[in-house]
Amino acid sequence: MGKGRPFLEVFTCALSEDYWFPILELLVLLCALWTFFTAGIAGVSGSYSDFITVEAFTHNLVYSFTWPLIIMVGIPIVKNIAYGLGSDLEKGIIHTLFSYPLKKGYILTARLLSALVIPLLLFLGISILGLFLFLPDVIRADPGTVALTYAAQLSPVLLTAGLLLLLALRLRRGVPALLSGLTLCFVLFVILDSIADSVAWGIGSDWSLKIYAVITPNLALQEYYVGTLGLSSQTWVPSFSEALLYVSAGYLLVAVVFIIAYVYFKRSLRI
Amino acid sequence: MSLILVDDIAKSYGKVVAVDGLSLRVEEGSIMGLIGPKDVGKTTTIKIIVGVLKPDRGSVRVFNEEPWDNPALKSRIGIIHERARFPSHHKVLDYLQRVCRIFGKPESRAREVLALTKLEDVYDRTIKTLSAVMLQKLAIAHAWINQPGLIIADEPTSNLDPEARSDLLDLILKLHHDENVTFLISSDIVPELDRVCDSVVIINQGKVWASGGLTELSERFMARTTRISTDNPEALGGLIRKLEYVSRVEVNSRGVSVGVIGEEDRKLYEDVPKLAREAKAKIVGIQSGTASLEELFRLAVRSRQGE
Repeated sequence: MGKGRPFLEVFTCALSEDYWFPILELLVLLCALWTFFTAGIAGVSGSYSDFITVEAFTHNLVYSFTWPLIIMVGIPIVKNIAYGLGSDLEKGIIHTLFSYPLKKGYILTARLLSALVIPLLLFLGISILGLFLFLPDVIRADPGTVALTYAAQLSPVLLTAGLLLLLALRLRRGVPALLSGLTLCFVLFVILDSIADSVAWGIGSDWSLKIYAVITPNLALQEYYVGTLGLSSQTWVPSFSEALLYVSAGYLLVAVVFIIAYVYFKRSLRI
Repeated sequence: MSLILVDDIAKSYGKVVAVDGLSLRVEEGSIMGLIGPKDVGKTTTIKIIVGVLKPDRGSVRVFNEEPWDNPALKSRIGIIHERARFPSHHKVLDYLQRVCRIFGKPESRAREVLALTKLEDVYDRTIKTLSAVMLQKLAIAHAWINQPGLIIADEPTSNLDPEARSDLLDLILKLHHDENVTFLISSDIVPELDRVCDSVVIINQGKVWASGGLTELSERFMARTTRISTDNPEALGGLIRKLEYVSRVEVNSRGVSVGVIGEEDRKLYEDVPKLAREAKAKIVGIQSGTASLEELFRLAVRSRQGE
C-alpha cells in the first residue's frame, strides 16, 4: 500500500476537524475582502512620481496591501497550530494517528498542512486577486518585486508557524499553547520590533535592525527601497544583494526551526 | 512462534526511569497480560512495542520487524491506546470508513466492525457524543478494521463500569477464539486479566517481577489462598490478621479468605481451630487453592513498597 492515500486521509481528516465550524476563517475572509475593496474603492493609485523607483513603488504598494491580511490570517494559524495540535496531543488523538501506516514525519506534515493551508490560501488568494483587480499594471510592470515582497512577507508567518509548532509539542496542551503562542506573536512582532527601532534610533547603530531583519526580512527590503530615496536620516541602508541575503536568512531560520520541531516530534516527544 | 520479542529494553524520561531492563515474549495465539501497579512502566512498554517510542537500549521485534516508526508494521497490528480518543467532529461510520481507506480495506468493512462491536445503532452519531463505553468499543472496532493478527491494548477497560468491562472482555475472547488473534493487554485491573489471559508478565519498577502461566506463577511463588467458611467471619478474620505469615485477609458474610506464601498454609491449618475457639466461631469448611492473579499482583505491589 502506498503512503499517498493514508497521507491524504489523515490530511483531510485534520482539515475537517480544524475547520468543522470555520467562523474564524469566514470572518478573516470578510475582513480581508472588506479591506481590499475599500482600498480599491478609495482609489489606490497605480501611478508613481519620478523620484521613486518602480521597484520601491511596487514593494510599497504590495506591502501596504498585504500586511493587514498577514495579521488577519495569523489568527487562524495561531489557533490551528498552537491550540489544534496542542489539543490533539492533550486529548491523545495523536496516538490514534500513530496507529496508521504512516511515518511520524508524514503524520506531522499532514497535521501541519491542514493548519496552514486554508489561512495561506486565504492570504494568497485574496491578496493576489486584489492586486490583479486594482493594480494590474503594477503586477505586470514588476512581477519580480511583487514575488520578492510576498516571499519576505511570508517568511515571518512561516517562522511563527514553526515556533508555534515547537510550543505546542513542548506544552502538549491546547489552551496553554494558545496563550503562549499569542504572547510569542506579541513579543516577536510588537516588542522586538520596538526594541530594534529604539536601539537603532537611540544609539544610531544598525545591528539591532539587522538582527530583527532575519526574523522579518521585509524590514531589509523596506530599508533598501527607502534607501533608494536617498533620505539622510536612515540608520541602515542595505544593498539589494544584502536585502536578498536577509530574505534567504529568514527562510534558513524557518527551515532550522521546522527541522528542530520535526526531530523533536520524531525522537523526543513525550507522549 | 513469537510475535513480540522484547529484549532488555530501557527507557528514561530525564531522571525518571520508566522501564529498566525489561524482557518479554508473546507467542502467537496467546493472550498475554501485562500487569502491575500504576506508573511502573506498562504504558511506556506498550508504546515502545507499538513503535511510538524508541527505547534507550535493548531491542524489540514485532512480527520479526523493528517497530519504531515502521508504517508497514502498523498494517499488521491493531492498537488500542489507553483512553482512546478520535477526531471528535466525525460521525462514527464516516470515521471508520476513512480508517478503512487508510488501511486499503473496502468501506463495507466499517459496517462489519460496527456490527461486531455492537455499535450499529450509533453509526450516524458524532464521536464527541459517545459515552466512555462506546468510545472503548470504537477503539476495538478501529483496531480490528485491518484484521490484524496481533492486537496490543493499553488499559482497554480503564474508566469502564464492571458490566462494560465484562462486555469488552467477551469481545476480546471472541476475537481470540474466532479469529485466532493474539493479544497483549496491559491493565492494573487484575481480576479481568485473570479471566482472559493465558499468561502474564508482572511489571514492577520498570522490570519484570515475574512472568509465566498463572498456575506456574502461583506454584513458583507458592502463593496460596485458603478460604474458611464460618458463622463469625469478622471475629475470626480479626484474629487471623494478627498472624505474621499471612499476606492478605478478606472478610465477607460467609467466611474469610486468607492469602499465605510458601509452606505457611500448613501452619494456618493448625492455627485456625485454635483461633476459631478464641473467636467463638464455628468452622463450616476450609479449602486451599492456588492464588489468584490478584494475589500475585499484591505481592508485586508489596515488593515495590519494600515490605
